[in-house]
Amino acid sequence: MTKHKSIHRKTLFFIVLMIIAAILGLIVRLMYLMIFHSEQYAKRAKDLHERERSIKAERGMIYDRTGLVIADNKPVCTISVIHNQIKDKELVISSLSEILQLSEETVRKRVEKYSSIERIKSNVDKETADQIRNLGLDGVMVDEDYKRYYPYDDLASRVLGFTGSDNQGIIGLEVEYDSYLSGINGKILTLATAHGIEIDNAAENRVEPIPGNSLYTSLDVTMQMYAEQAAKKVMEKKQAQRVSIILMNPQNGEIYAMVNVPEFNLNSPYEFNEVLREKYDNITLTSEEKNTILNTMWRNPCISDTYEPGSTFKVVTAAAALEEKVVSLTDRFFCPGYKKVEDRNIRCHKAGGHGSESFVDGIKNSCNPVFMEVGARVGAERMYDYYKTFGLREKTGVDLPGEANSIMHKLENVEAVELATMSFGQSFQITPLQLLRTASAIINGGTLVTPHFGVEIKNAEGTTIKTLTYETKSQAVSKETSETMKMLLEAVVADGSGKKAYLPGFRIGGKTATSEKLPRRSGKYISSFLGFAPAQDPKVIALLMIDEPVGIYYGGTVAAPVVAEVLENVLPYLGIEPAYSEQEILTYEIGSFEIPDFIGKSKREAEEIISAYYFDEIYYIGEGDTVMEQFPLSGEMVNKNSDLILYLE
Amino acid sequence: MESGKKRKKKKYYDYSLLFLILFLSCFGLVMIYSTSSYNAAKYYGDAMKYLKRQALFLVMGIPIMLFVSKINYHFYIKKFPLFRVKPINILYFLCLVLQAVVLFSGSEAGGSQRWIEIGDIRFQPSEVTKICVVLFCSFMVQAAPRRLDNVKGFLRVGFYTLPLIGLVVVENFSTALIICAIMFVICFVASRKKGYFIIFGILAAVAGGILIFGVSYRSDRIDAWLNVETHPKGFQTLQSLYAIASGGLFGKGLGQSMQKLGFIPEAHNDMIFSIICEELGLFGAISVIMLFILLLWRIFSIAISAQDLFGSLIATGVFTQIAVQVLINIAVVTNTIPNTGIPLPFISYGGTSLLVLLAEMGIVLGVSNQIEYER
Repeated sequence: MTKHKSIHRKTLFFIVLMIIAAILGLIVRLMYLMIFHSEQYAKRAKDLHERERSIKAERGMIYDRTGLVIADNKPVCTISVIHNQIKDKELVISSLSEILQLSEETVRKRVEKYSSIERIKSNVDKETADQIRNLGLDGVMVDEDYKRYYPYDDLASRVLGFTGSDNQGIIGLEVEYDSYLSGINGKILTLATAHGIEIDNAAENRVEPIPGNSLYTSLDVTMQMYAEQAAKKVMEKKQAQRVSIILMNPQNGEIYAMVNVPEFNLNSPYEFNEVLREKYDNITLTSEEKNTILNTMWRNPCISDTYEPGSTFKVVTAAAALEEKVVSLTDRFFCPGYKKVEDRNIRCHKAGGHGSESFVDGIKNSCNPVFMEVGARVGAERMYDYYKTFGLREKTGVDLPGEANSIMHKLENVEAVELATMSFGQSFQITPLQLLRTASAIINGGTLVTPHFGVEIKNAEGTTIKTLTYETKSQAVSKETSETMKMLLEAVVADGSGKKAYLPGFRIGGKTATSEKLPRRSGKYISSFLGFAPAQDPKVIALLMIDEPVGIYYGGTVAAPVVAEVLENVLPYLGIEPAYSEQEILTYEIGSFEIPDFIGKSKREAEEIISAYYFDEIYYIGEGDTVMEQFPLSGEMVNKNSDLILYLE
Repeated sequence: MESGKKRKKKKYYDYSLLFLILFLSCFGLVMIYSTSSYNAAKYYGDAMKYLKRQALFLVMGIPIMLFVSKINYHFYIKKFPLFRVKPINILYFLCLVLQAVVLFSGSEAGGSQRWIEIGDIRFQPSEVTKICVVLFCSFMVQAAPRRLDNVKGFLRVGFYTLPLIGLVVVENFSTALIICAIMFVICFVASRKKGYFIIFGILAAVAGGILIFGVSYRSDRIDAWLNVETHPKGFQTLQSLYAIASGGLFGKGLGQSMQKLGFIPEAHNDMIFSIICEELGLFGAISVIMLFILLLWRIFSIAISAQDLFGSLIATGVFTQIAVQVLINIAVVTNTIPNTGIPLPFISYGGTSLLVLLAEMGIVLGVSNQIEYER
């Protein structure tokens, strides 16, 4: 028995040893996992446990040149549900669908979807969100967020552009400067269980969002509004499809205003503007059709569409010819109403012809045969060289997306006929902004500037991060040619085809144009006017285009007065005071006078006094014969042609 | 033995083993509360549900263990005076019947039928079968220890144990493996000739291999084991590895496990050791393993100092069972071997399992209680 026992004791001990060895093996395995693989697995486990919630960064603002905010943010909220945390499903569905005005079906679908977090609605205004928050429903999350807000609704809509649901720029400056404006989203890292429920007391890892930088632009709200008003007025009057106005500083390329009416409301960019609403009222559109229409509505024709510039392009031909010295101001020409080029008669716009005229007269009259002749003197090859130095063969480099380039014949295809038509602005296409840029170079002493809006980038604290600089090329034309051109264009407005743009007290230069839209003989025109002021030292250059005016369509008649109207407001705004010549004071009754006393006078007596002064409109208010009150008061100094109000009793 | 000496001899009782059992069970309660409270609160609205149930069984189990420890273990192999049957034989047939019942009408859990449900209590007959095999093999061997010196004796023991193993292996491979190990070790220890065990070891390995690779769901487990990162069925083991590894040296602190929050399904069951690693770290895990080594060491001591071969073999059997269960459980959670459901003794959740285990420890304590020593 004893012997037997000792054997089995040894055996048992052997087994114990084996088991201890196995256990040691497992301990080694544990050490391997818990020491050497700890970090790797722990990281992967953490990835599994962590839920990331992003905090949207506030998008940078866009300011105009006077510091007004033209693109702002307003706080909104995103409502979402966490499936696992919902306690009273039906209550959640009914209250959300009621407050958010969504169909119960939509809400139910999202509430019942098994996901960690499901968005019900974003861009909910703060009041509505507070209403939901106050209900204190389990599983309903209200996250603060920002939404782009444009205080001026449709001001410069096609320039500014708008943002999408993730605050990303969709068109316009919002796209171009997206990387500066967007900022960096922050995030909250929380621990969550396998069922997606966040653990309350777990330490949150929070990465603060960095707000976007602000963009300071050269756009000027006041000038934009002046231009927009004038554009709207003429669009209505002429029942035009569209009216565009660009105002730019020709010296440095800063764009003050870029109007394209009809504009659209930036705060609801997916809704049709008024014009489209009227047009497509009662018409059901497929979403594809609607998209196409919206894209047209958003399109900025000043930079994205090309057109035949017509007579305004004579500025370019003239500058090239003067620069090339193939024409002098005193050269004589004869216009019989057409010019024979090779086997074709190309007509002048004046049927009978302008007869004998100097080069200066040729510009004033906008005479086609003169420019055909001048163009021919320069020659196709040299002309194309000038197009190149004038920046017409390249994009302007404006800081907006979607810019188009000019469409021109290949040089080797340019024969006499093509050259002749190009000389007065036909048979090729450029964008309005390209024309404006070239014209700027011709009148500013020869510097080819880059048209732009962006001036400066500042961070949220207001520190300048980047001053935007743009390329300029000097000596596109000589100073001398530039001076001559300014003089010539001032003459066009003073007593030439552009005289309707004449503004007493200011020296304005300009050139009219009437381009027939393609296909020819369609009866559709673009009336345009290119103007700048003051003529001797241009501070602002304007290009106005009226697309498809109904009735009279001559640029000189239709477009020129609109530019005068805009400049009349813009020039004083820019600090350029009118300086009247004696003749102007006489002709336009410029000056001021003192208001006489009307009180106590009878209506007939008042009328007598009025006739001796320079009043414009007289308003009588009230029934009776005796003047009780007057406005302006007696003794006040007012401009001639002021109105007068008399209160009778 | 002379009766004169008897007076000076004292009955021994292994209090350190008792203490270890109680300590491990209470530690188990703490870990069960830690691992189950989240799921219990989520699904039953009562964070203490699992803890209460386990505590109830522990409270019931301790008196049973103490009672069993006072029974002289020779009682099991003595015939009842009235019926002329030995309790061990009753147990043997009872186990056969229960195993058969569970095969045909048991309730399913995890793809295998292993449970008998009586009211609220779910009960796994294979737990009892383990005790039965310990007692039955010891009984067979002690009856004629010399027979084991050749293969025939071993085969005879095997022949009687086979029905039990056969009924278990159908649905519960790992328990069958434990039962085989118990039988094998008991015979191995008792035999004076060890040569043929090597041959049997090889044969068992081959048979095991065929079983493992032959049955589809097990073969799936092999794939999952080898490609734990990518295999869809490796999910649970991978989560266990995440838990273990993210524990690091000192762990996240008791109750701070992330993986128990639904990532490891039913973390209070077989995977509880991985949460111990996550919360208590490498040091905590090694401490728990040390406790098991101590427990095994006490059982080993009882085995070698038991009054007779029968007691010694019983202790050996229990020793084997606990050792193998601990080894397999830890090996599974560390993905050292393919996944198989073996609870960690005393710690994993399972009321009847704990009850049976405590009764078993009562038997071992009973063996210790028969040891006599001189004052």
